[in-house]
Amino acid sequence: MIQEKFKKILLVDDDIDLLDQNKALLISRGFAVVTAESGEEGWKMFQSENPDAAILDLIMEQMDAGFVLSHRIKKTEHGKKIPVFILTSATYDTGFKFSASTAEEREWIKCDGVLNKPVVVEELISKLENFAGITK
Amino acid sequence: MNGKTAHILIVDDEKGLRYGTQRLLEDEGYSVETAENGEEGIRLGTSKEFDVALIDLKMPDIDGMDVLKEIINIHPNTICFIVTAFASYDTAIEATRIGAFGYLPKPFTPEELIYQVEQGIRQRELIIEAERLKKEREANLLELAFEKSRLNAIIKSINEGVLIINRVGEVAYYNYAALKYLNISDLKISEPVLYKLPEKISDIITNILEKETFSLKTITTQIEVKPNQELVIEAACTPISQPDGSLAGVVVIIGNITDFKKIELIKNQFISMVAHELKTPLAAVQGFLNIFLDKNMNLSEETKEDYLKRSVVRLKGLTDLVNDLLDISRMEIKTKQREIEIIRIEEVLTGTLQFLEFELKKKGISIEQNIQPNLPTIKADLNEITRLLTNLLSNAIKYNKENGIIKVEITTSSNYLNIKIADTGIGLKPEEKNRLFSEFFRAKNEKTRGISGTGLGLTIVKRIVDSYYGKIDVDSTYGEGTTFTISLPININ
Repeated sequence: MIQEKFKKILLVDDDIDLLDQNKALLISRGFAVVTAESGEEGWKMFQSENPDAAILDLIMEQMDAGFVLSHRIKKTEHGKKIPVFILTSATYDTGFKFSASTAEEREWIKCDGVLNKPVVVEELISKLENFAGITK
Repeated sequence: MNGKTAHILIVDDEKGLRYGTQRLLEDEGYSVETAENGEEGIRLGTSKEFDVALIDLKMPDIDGMDVLKEIINIHPNTICFIVTAFASYDTAIEATRIGAFGYLPKPFTPEELIYQVEQGIRQRELIIEAERLKKEREANLLELAFEKSRLNAIIKSINEGVLIINRVGEVAYYNYAALKYLNISDLKISEPVLYKLPEKISDIITNILEKETFSLKTITTQIEVKPNQELVIEAACTPISQPDGSLAGVVVIIGNITDFKKIELIKNQFISMVAHELKTPLAAVQGFLNIFLDKNMNLSEETKEDYLKRSVVRLKGLTDLVNDLLDISRMEIKTKQREIEIIRIEEVLTGTLQFLEFELKKKGISIEQNIQPNLPTIKADLNEITRLLTNLLSNAIKYNKENGIIKVEITTSSNYLNIKIADTGIGLKPEEKNRLFSEFFRAKNEKTRGISGTGLGLTIVKRIVDSYYGKIDVDSTYGEGTTFTISLPININ
């Protein structure tokens, strides 16, 4: 069960509605969720909670707050082991061009995938499963 | 001679010969004048241009050679004959050297005389025709040279770069704008140039030059000549044909489109931001709806109502955003729909405060007004001034603390009407202050949580103020409050 591998998920989003939605959805699927509403708060939460996965909104207090946070997380020993996803509505169709679909892009962005808003919980779970498959 | 009577001068001291010759020539239809000595000959021969002059060599006063010299000096096209009984080879050579057309030995028969005169007249016609052609050609050349220099001046002065390449890829012509836009330091006429050009341009030209047939179609390409969009050009390459239809070369017209590209970039960025701002509330509402439809979710009635209310708030925010965007777009078109009227700012303030009464009461905000008596009127669009005060006052309410105060002060200084709106709210961090007027910027920190807004309110305020040539200042201390001061010129048209 994927919920056993990723018991606790860190959600960071400055949009309280989206944060609550994703939290409710993940809880309904058996995950435990910790939340933060800014990049700074998310960093503190990551350090204190040691989550098993992190889902970070991209545009928060800064345009690239999600990238900044994922870089900080991926620099830590624990961060290297867990999947970190960037959550955004800023994708190809709105002119911001990134997808983390290639290894090179992942090296730059320092995350394991990009999720479009609004997030479909099944898609997130399948991404977690993929990640687990890769690291097994 | 072309229906025109030829004028002939006879210079001879021998009266008999003078009259005899005159009569002979007049019988042939020529008009004849005579001079009886050298001096008279010079006077007549120089004062008007004869077609032919017959000059006696030996005269008592002035030698015929000198008369010849004088006449030719003034009228080089007068055909002169030296007439003499002392014919010698040397005098003949000398006379021709000085400029005589021929030599007429005395005595001569009438046939000889007339034959020689006719020859002379034909010669003169030829000379005159040749001269006319020469002048015509010179005039044409002058015009051509003028035309060329005028074209040259025009091409050198235009903003577009012009580069003409002949059919073997050498420079045939260029102007300095071309060098500037192609970032080439030097070019010489006739030097091979293709290797110096940006690849995209040289490819197009090579393609045109190498083809057997060509159409006079222009091929256009855009090139970033200097990185980071510092210089972007558009080059239009057009084949030019010879009069016989074969390829003469290629003309490249280069335009500087850097500013256009910059505007395009700003526009695209703005559209990206707008798209993002529109998608965010939509995603929130969609997210709530998805939860309602999710079979795994077991929502309590309380949670359902909470989610529905939050969806309504997001949709209201989306509507506000669309309205703000429309306002900004209207402002871009501006002046057209503007209705300028005389406005009393204190009346606009009273109206705006009434409009915001509900929000003020809800948060327990009190207003302290300090309005200078007898304020001057301003000329402005009432809608815009109302919008200005509404946006600033609603911010002062939204970002104020519960039961806070808003101080409104309106004063005049020199030619400005100063509107100061101070709140006792959360204030701004220094880094937030700098970005305050940019589109979609909203201060995001622990204290602004739950405050809704489009991120366009102050952008609109700034645009209104700018459009009236006014100014806006912000003074803020984080945690204590923010003061906006708007200065609008009085008596604006």
